Amino acid sequence: MTMTATPVGRSTAAAGKPRRRFAALSPSWLFAAPALVVYAVVVLYPSLAGMLYAFTDWSGIGADKSFVGLANFQTLLHDEQAMDSIGNTLLLTVAIVVVQNAVGLLLALGVHAKLKSRALLRVIFFAPVVVSPVMVAFLWKYIYNPDPSAGLNGLLGVQIDWLGDPSLALWSIAATVVWQYAGYSMVIFLAGLEGVPKELHEAAMIDGASTLQRFRYVTWPLLAPALTINLMLSTIGGLKLFDQVFAATNGGPGYATETLSTVLYKQAFVFGKFGYSTAIALVLALFVAAVSLVQVYYLRGREVAQ
Amino acid sequence: MTELRDARLSRVQFFRMMGGLAVAAAATACSTKPQPTGSTGQGQASAVELRFVGVADQKAPMDELVAAYKQAKPGVTLATSFAPTDQVQTSLRTQLGAGNAPDVHVVYPGSGSAMSMDQIAGAGLLADLSDQSWTQTIPTGFKPAFQKDGKTYIYSAGSSVIGAIYNKKVFQEAGVDAPPTTWTEFLAVCDKLKKAGKTPIALGAQTPWVTQLITYALVPSTVYAKDPTFDDKQAAGQTSFAKSGWRDAMEMYLELQKRGFFNDKPNGTTFEQQISMVATGKAGMAIQVSAVLPDFRKSAGNPDDLSMFPVPGADVADQVWIPAGVVVGLGAAAKGKNLAEAKAFIDFLGKQENINRWAKAIAAIPLTQDASSTIDPAVQSFLPFTKDRAVPFMDQRWPNAEVQPVHFAVIQDLLAGKIKIDDALRKMDEAYAK
Repeated sequence: MTMTATPVGRSTAAAGKPRRRFAALSPSWLFAAPALVVYAVVVLYPSLAGMLYAFTDWSGIGADKSFVGLANFQTLLHDEQAMDSIGNTLLLTVAIVVVQNAVGLLLALGVHAKLKSRALLRVIFFAPVVVSPVMVAFLWKYIYNPDPSAGLNGLLGVQIDWLGDPSLALWSIAATVVWQYAGYSMVIFLAGLEGVPKELHEAAMIDGASTLQRFRYVTWPLLAPALTINLMLSTIGGLKLFDQVFAATNGGPGYATETLSTVLYKQAFVFGKFGYSTAIALVLALFVAAVSLVQVYYLRGREVAQ
Repeated sequence: MTELRDARLSRVQFFRMMGGLAVAAAATACSTKPQPTGSTGQGQASAVELRFVGVADQKAPMDELVAAYKQAKPGVTLATSFAPTDQVQTSLRTQLGAGNAPDVHVVYPGSGSAMSMDQIAGAGLLADLSDQSWTQTIPTGFKPAFQKDGKTYIYSAGSSVIGAIYNKKVFQEAGVDAPPTTWTEFLAVCDKLKKAGKTPIALGAQTPWVTQLITYALVPSTVYAKDPTFDDKQAAGQTSFAKSGWRDAMEMYLELQKRGFFNDKPNGTTFEQQISMVATGKAGMAIQVSAVLPDFRKSAGNPDDLSMFPVPGADVADQVWIPAGVVVGLGAAAKGKNLAEAKAFIDFLGKQENINRWAKAIAAIPLTQDASSTIDPAVQSFLPFTKDRAVPFMDQRWPNAEVQPVHFAVIQDLLAGKIKIDDALRKMDEAYAK
């Protein structure tokens, strides 16, 4: 069968759609079935079963637990620390989503240009992504040493308490996340850039469009699918951020960098309130799902049909 | 060029293919299954392997004592693993919750942590050790840390103290001849060190647990010296953090900061940086628990440069009390498969010679002492206090695991100037009441 035959095959399949009575038995579903079964057993079932703990007062150890209805959710509404942590989580997410994608896009545009060293630069910019987030946080703890002669302070010749100043610590953590994941956004944007047809750029050039105009009217609209993916991934990552905060500040100083994830961790494993912690986790999961759905709905709307 | 999508595969062919794969997978599974059984079945029928999970502080003494136990009882081996407190807390609580706890594991004395004796024994997950002979000699003052409802659930080799780990060389260079014995003298020493161009007190308050040590060092003098029954009264609701000498201790803490006796930006400084500052002579002292003295010594050019003295929290020398807490210990899982062997190992640790070995490895004061007991010269100056002027670490009597993290957080906020002492004490009282 040749390439030219493909559309014929597809249209035949499309025409045959109404007679398909057992969609679940189609080869595509059957191929996915083994993975879906594993996913259901390893992820779905434990997650759904775990949700039940949100309605109990289980301590995480021992057999004692009783049904408490919606009490854990009511506690959450009046929990000052959890509410503050929602604010921190949202601030972090906005900062990370905006800066990480802006930097990622700039890097992608940079390494998409005809540079001799672009392959090497791509590897360098992507390298932090493959390092464990905990290791990155520990590394940055050294870089953020408050000593004026050490780390970033020594390099910049400033005396800033990066992680110890409550008004700055959150942004310092956001910077480490951006440093680590800007390369990830870059790769996705780069894939989008590779897909922009050269002919369109040539046509725009012939029409006398400037570089900026070509970006604005040719590249940017065609990058919409990459932007959708990047915004969604960085939003989800930001909302459930845990490792970097836990390793860098453990939520401190005070409660200045506490996120919803660190609060739920502490409730479960430090305070021994597993039921309440599960309630927070459930709220977080629903919130992340809601935000992602809204985001996808709006961003898909602006994607250009190809 | 053909595309995969267009390669036709009938449903019958597909089912045949999947069926074949399933049979192949099952056959592979069956053929590999018997192998491990065969290999473990060779020779070691009577061997018992005990699993131990502990915190990093326990590695040095456990390595030594596990090796000794192997000599004493060759049939039993111990698979040990150690991790920082936070990680152990996470993994152990998960294992305890799932019912597959290690045979022997770390347990914190008293009641103030999620891994404390009181909480785990309360959930019925710790074996009763009361029939072991060493439990009969636990000093009365320490019993609340070891026992719940009169039964002993935790083994610990002794107590550690909180005081100032100081660099003798730096003190000498600054013209300080002897450690201070009153609060006024303490401030004067700090002043001398500061004038000599040194940081008087290194504080690594970015590491949460380090934040609590200065209040812990002062509260025995500001609270318990005045009312040794404070814990009972607080539990009965007759007093609170806000109404007690806790306020004085926090004021003294902040006075040290106001006078510039801490390193710059303590909230951004870690425990490791704190160690380095004292060990290298950049700072004069650090208020720390004696159990980390070996870490300071490891970092110092000459370990003998480092010693300790009690932090005087009062202006009258005999009103100075010290914190002396039972060191982190271990317990046996009540429902463990090898419970008898696990208890036998703990009984071995309870022998006087082994209490001495454990205590020596972490510069602790042995739980019970005999002629062969040695006490680290650095903590000798604390011994006169241990009889009647010492109190357990405060969290060991707190009713829940929330007070301690709140204490960490409010100290960081106080150091950052974000809250006032009133707010700090109110938050701690609220956590205590939960």
